[in-house]
Amino acid sequence: MLKNYFRTAWRSLLKNKFYTAINISGLAVGLATGIMLLLWVQNELSYDKFHKDYQQIYRLSSHFKSNGEDLTWTGVPGPLSVFAKSIPEVQSVVRTSRDFDQNLSNEERTKIFDGNVVGYVDSGFFSMFNFHFLKGNKATAFPNSNSVVLTQSTAQKLFGNEEAIGKTLQFFKNNFTVTGVLQDFPQNSSIQYDAIFPMSLLAKDFTENGGNGDWKTIDEDLGDFTFTTYVQLQPAANPVKTGQTFSALYKKARNGESDASFQLQKLAAIHLISADGNNAALRMVQIFMLVVVLLLAIASINYVNLSTARSLIRAKEVSIRKIVGAQKGQLFLQFSIETIVLFCLATGLAIVLIYSLMPLYNNISGKTLSFTLSDANVWKAVILAVVGTLVASSIYPALLLSSFKPIESLKGKLTSGISAAFFRKALVVFQFAISVILLVCTMVMSNQMKFVKNKNLGYDKSYVFSVPLTQEVVDHADAVKTELKKQTGILNVAVSDAYSLANVSASTGDLDWAAKPANSNMMIIQISADKDFIPTMKIKFLEGENFTGTPADSAYFVLNETAVKGMGLKQPYVGQQITFHNIKGTIHGVVQDFNFQSLKEKIAPLIFFTNWNNKNILYVRTTAANAQQAIAAVGKQYKKYAGDSPFSYYFLDKTFETQYKSEERAGTLFNAFAGIAIFISCLGLFGLATYTAQVKTKEIGIRKVLGASVASVVQLISKDFLKLVLIAIVIAIPVAWWAMNKWLEDFAYRINISWWIFILAAFIASLIALITVSFQAVRAAIANPVKSLRTE
Amino acid sequence: MANMIKITDLEKVYRTEEVETVALNKLTLEVKEGEFVAIMGPSGCGKSTLLNILGLLDDPDKGSFIFNGIEVAHFNERKRADLRKHNIGFVFQSFNLIDELTVYENVELPLIYTGVKPAERKKRVEYVLDKVQIMHRRNHYPQQLSGGQQQRVAVARAVVNNPKLILADEPTGNLDSNNGNEVMELLTELNEQGTTIVMVTHSEHDARYSHRIIRMLDGQTVTQNILV
Repeated sequence: MLKNYFRTAWRSLLKNKFYTAINISGLAVGLATGIMLLLWVQNELSYDKFHKDYQQIYRLSSHFKSNGEDLTWTGVPGPLSVFAKSIPEVQSVVRTSRDFDQNLSNEERTKIFDGNVVGYVDSGFFSMFNFHFLKGNKATAFPNSNSVVLTQSTAQKLFGNEEAIGKTLQFFKNNFTVTGVLQDFPQNSSIQYDAIFPMSLLAKDFTENGGNGDWKTIDEDLGDFTFTTYVQLQPAANPVKTGQTFSALYKKARNGESDASFQLQKLAAIHLISADGNNAALRMVQIFMLVVVLLLAIASINYVNLSTARSLIRAKEVSIRKIVGAQKGQLFLQFSIETIVLFCLATGLAIVLIYSLMPLYNNISGKTLSFTLSDANVWKAVILAVVGTLVASSIYPALLLSSFKPIESLKGKLTSGISAAFFRKALVVFQFAISVILLVCTMVMSNQMKFVKNKNLGYDKSYVFSVPLTQEVVDHADAVKTELKKQTGILNVAVSDAYSLANVSASTGDLDWAAKPANSNMMIIQISADKDFIPTMKIKFLEGENFTGTPADSAYFVLNETAVKGMGLKQPYVGQQITFHNIKGTIHGVVQDFNFQSLKEKIAPLIFFTNWNNKNILYVRTTAANAQQAIAAVGKQYKKYAGDSPFSYYFLDKTFETQYKSEERAGTLFNAFAGIAIFISCLGLFGLATYTAQVKTKEIGIRKVLGASVASVVQLISKDFLKLVLIAIVIAIPVAWWAMNKWLEDFAYRINISWWIFILAAFIASLIALITVSFQAVRAAIANPVKSLRTE
Repeated sequence: MANMIKITDLEKVYRTEEVETVALNKLTLEVKEGEFVAIMGPSGCGKSTLLNILGLLDDPDKGSFIFNGIEVAHFNERKRADLRKHNIGFVFQSFNLIDELTVYENVELPLIYTGVKPAERKKRVEYVLDKVQIMHRRNHYPQQLSGGQQQRVAVARAVVNNPKLILADEPTGNLDSNNGNEVMELLTELNEQGTTIVMVTHSEHDARYSHRIIRMLDGQTVTQNILV
């Protein structure tokens, strides 16, 4: 019996090559996209879950109020890990700290590498987390503060294929012995280092450098919120309560003079939800899951529509089978098997598609997902997508087909046609509504990204590059600057401590002025810079002047407009007294607001000052034509003082753009989704139009005999479909408008959604639908009526 | 002989939104086991409706239908289908073979649905194909056959389950006279072997193969001619 079903299914698919091709290609594209997206979602949801105790591990975060706004830091003071020892719910605690872009070399300095992420961790790190040692083990990892654990890749870079254990590595001119080699951190780990040093190293440096005021060790320093700290709780512990205990202990240690509070966030949640509760990343994952469902729904709808529409043609077969004795259940099974056979073919094609698209997809999504059929997760995604779609598309057609009344369908008198036709129309509306929504999203997203890229930031980011300097170069900064200013092609040179002006985040509350309210917690972003910095960046003054380049600068400050307004100062601002980091001075100038953070953030209060000797980032303004020359000149000066330390430079507009990489990616992916959704919808529409033309062959024949023109026949067929697309547009517009407003809420600086986007999306959808339908309509219209009438 | 079919006061009305068509109007009819009955009448007189009800493809609105001693007038679809597949074979004017199946597979189909084992199926299909002399075409598809050949396949399919009753709806309507006669000979032969046959026809020539001709008009039987 089953053999017979498969045979009939196969022959029926072969016989209707056109519909089979439409069905398979629509399903394959839908499945391929769905599976790839599911792999992405799976990966996003898998972060940090590979640790054995991940459900009991939490990250501490600090929370304050500043200027009425909530502030959240992922760093907490070092003594919290001392407090933890007195909290019974806490099983273990680990402090970590990390530095970006660090320089590591082998002892001989024959291999020097920049850009390493270096971690400092408490000794319990390797017990709390399950990072796998290839060489050495957690017990022997840090015998003293001159030990280091490397990842496999770093060991490979520094020592090649030689045994790394026992080798010496140079970091900040000090030698360290390699005591362990870790497997590279999994891609789905929030914790990522290239090299790990013991926390005792950082502790020693802190104490040797005089500590922080009265606090001489990191275990005492209550003022610096610098350690990313993880705690593992007892299984039954309540994380909210534990957070409150930490807050209370901290307040007590500060003699009641602190309103900082601490919270615990699940390790498994930190990848998608930031410490301040911003769940934009999680929302993205949810949106993608929704898109998976919608795309698969669109693909299923094609199948449902085509098979129910064509059921008239199958009706005769169904009747005969019933007359010779088929039960409803047997027919249901037969049609289900037909769907299954088709799905197997579509799945095969989808797998081929995924294999060939995976590199491109990884490139767009910024992931390193692999598609190997031996991976259980891959199968989970495949099965979820295929079975979901299969169930959605097999039941209705099989039910409809198997429930025909035999004698009526044999004579072509189908009564179930009306409700089925309505259902089909509703599905087409649904498909096109989704397509239009995706189309609008794509257009709004790309407009917003264009707006962000071209927004006047209040300074000029073009043709400026920054160079991180070593201490030797910092010590000779004036000489380097003088030399560089002589070069043609270099318009200006400055130094500051801001790693990139596209995103400055160092903030402090250490600012006083006469009228400061007692309860003010105002935080201000600080940039330590020289007198050339503001002119180099072409930041405009609102009032007052730039630094002078004389020793008097040490008591001069330049603030931005938001800062002076936030402080409640009255004009003229210049000359008013303020105290910053215990230095009494005056406001020498006020600059117009400019964006020094992501455009998702409102402009924050900002202060420029000159008197710290930590200005280790060189900023160079050049021109399009002379950029290469300028880079070479800077490189030469750099080598002169930094010796063999690697030289690197970053163009500001490029770093600016990388901030929007995730939005950029989302935009690209949405482009693709919209394209795929429209493609699949049109495939279905094309099939339905073909079918309509077939069904109306007789009607068209009669109309033509009576004198109908080709145009009027085309209109006859297209009209109904266009009506559906228009209804879809009407449904889609408010939904898209709402969704995009939600998305834009993330941006402090955003476009308004203009009406023409909707008109354009509606126009594109209608046009594509019209072209799809009229192709078949014209064919039907120019057919010879004598021929079409004879087929009756 | 016992009654195979006993119909009393059977009524069937078709309704659309505006029109009510009385297809059968208090029709009464008996067919004995082993009989060969022809039903004749103008278009729209209710012949086909009657045949559909006899074939358990449709149910009457009112009246009684006793088939083989069982009242079946208000059987549900499932029960009707069950009774149908074991007892009734159909032959249509337009053959109604499934285009995607070969001659052999078309004939095999009723046996599959009644759950006959493969070995037994093969024996029975080959037996009936031989009987209707179409064995040499067993692997052809319906479109590759002439009309007469297709109808012989349809007859083979109708009898492969050894039904007690064959219902034939203008079995020669689409055939030329030579092929038509061949099919009528085939039906006569089956009848002689004991199968009851009820045939709807427009052809006086074909009707003469039967034992009894029932003439219908406006949903009722008007006359009966007994030929044998």
